[in-house]
Amino acid sequence: MNLDNGVHVSLEEAKQLVEYLESGQQDKADELIAKIQNPINSELFAEIGKLTRQLHDSLMNFQLDSRLTDLATADIPDAKERLNYVINRTEEAANKTMDAVESIFPVVDTIQSQIKTVKPLWKKLMSNDLDVNEFKELCKDIDVLLKTTENETKHMHGLMTDVLMAQDFQDLTGQVIRKVIDLVREVEDSLINMLTVFGISSDEAKEIAKPSVGENLVEGPIVNTEERDDVVTDQDDVDDLLSSLGF
Amino acid sequence: MDKNMKVLVVDDFSTMRRIVKNLLRDLGFTNIQEADDGSTAWPMLQGGDFDFVVTDWNMPGMQGIDLLKAIRADASLAHIPVLLVTAEAKKEQIVMAAQAGVNGYIVKPFTAATLKTKLDKIFERLG
Repeated sequence: MNLDNGVHVSLEEAKQLVEYLESGQQDKADELIAKIQNPINSELFAEIGKLTRQLHDSLMNFQLDSRLTDLATADIPDAKERLNYVINRTEEAANKTMDAVESIFPVVDTIQSQIKTVKPLWKKLMSNDLDVNEFKELCKDIDVLLKTTENETKHMHGLMTDVLMAQDFQDLTGQVIRKVIDLVREVEDSLINMLTVFGISSDEAKEIAKPSVGENLVEGPIVNTEERDDVVTDQDDVDDLLSSLGF
Repeated sequence: MDKNMKVLVVDDFSTMRRIVKNLLRDLGFTNIQEADDGSTAWPMLQGGDFDFVVTDWNMPGMQGIDLLKAIRADASLAHIPVLLVTAEAKKEQIVMAAQAGVNGYIVKPFTAATLKTKLDKIFERLG
């Protein structure tokens, strides 16, 4: 305090100050000093003091909020593991399904080609135009076809059950993803609280914010096409756009 | 269209490469090779006399759009038709791909019929 700067303290004020200090009213004492020093700024000082205390308390609260610590150190790493599980399970299911389908393709091709072999003589039989030797040949071909079909349909049935069972990932990954959605919601709430403490309204922030886009504008699959007008919704849209460009 | 043509399928997901390969095989193409992103595809293309490239856009290393631009900028590769098969669906991106000289653009999810139509169109145009 520099009393040479035209700041004068009265005896009354000094007594008051001592009284405040003796009774432990530090806030009031500080306020009085501020008032003596610069009567105009005292309100401003008080306000800054209040804000500083609020900020301090808020920061303390954040530190004390163990949930936030848990989120960062346990829940989020756990969510990453969960999402990796989803990638692995869906990849596994896709491969299991394709394994089965890829082994069905040649079976279907074999049956089709055997039907093709049988067909000319079968047609002749149907129009009563078959001699005995041809009939014997037809019987052999049909015998082969029946045996193949019998064995291979059994085989295909098994493969189709594999395809069916590979779809069990949907239930498991659905449960996992739902948990991660809950976590994201909780983190969102915490972040909104933090924004509120710092005086930023989340509605205000929403208007400015846009989903981040990588280099080359990459964004991955668009999940809310109906809410956006900068994206195509299907292949027809793509074709229309390209043809408008002279494609 | 020559079904013996050499095709390069570029996608970072092995399952998607497998789907595209199966569909191409179903359409009669047998000479198919794979790469998991643009930077793996690039050296293959340079030494590999490929006739056709099917590529994804969003990949971790070199992206599909950059692969397309590199192909168009290289005198010995510039003639190769390129089909983008991608989940990227922004109009801006489709325009960007068209300007970079793409021959076809398919958005995921897509059907076997769409792939067939686009292939027919590409090779019909090229004659």
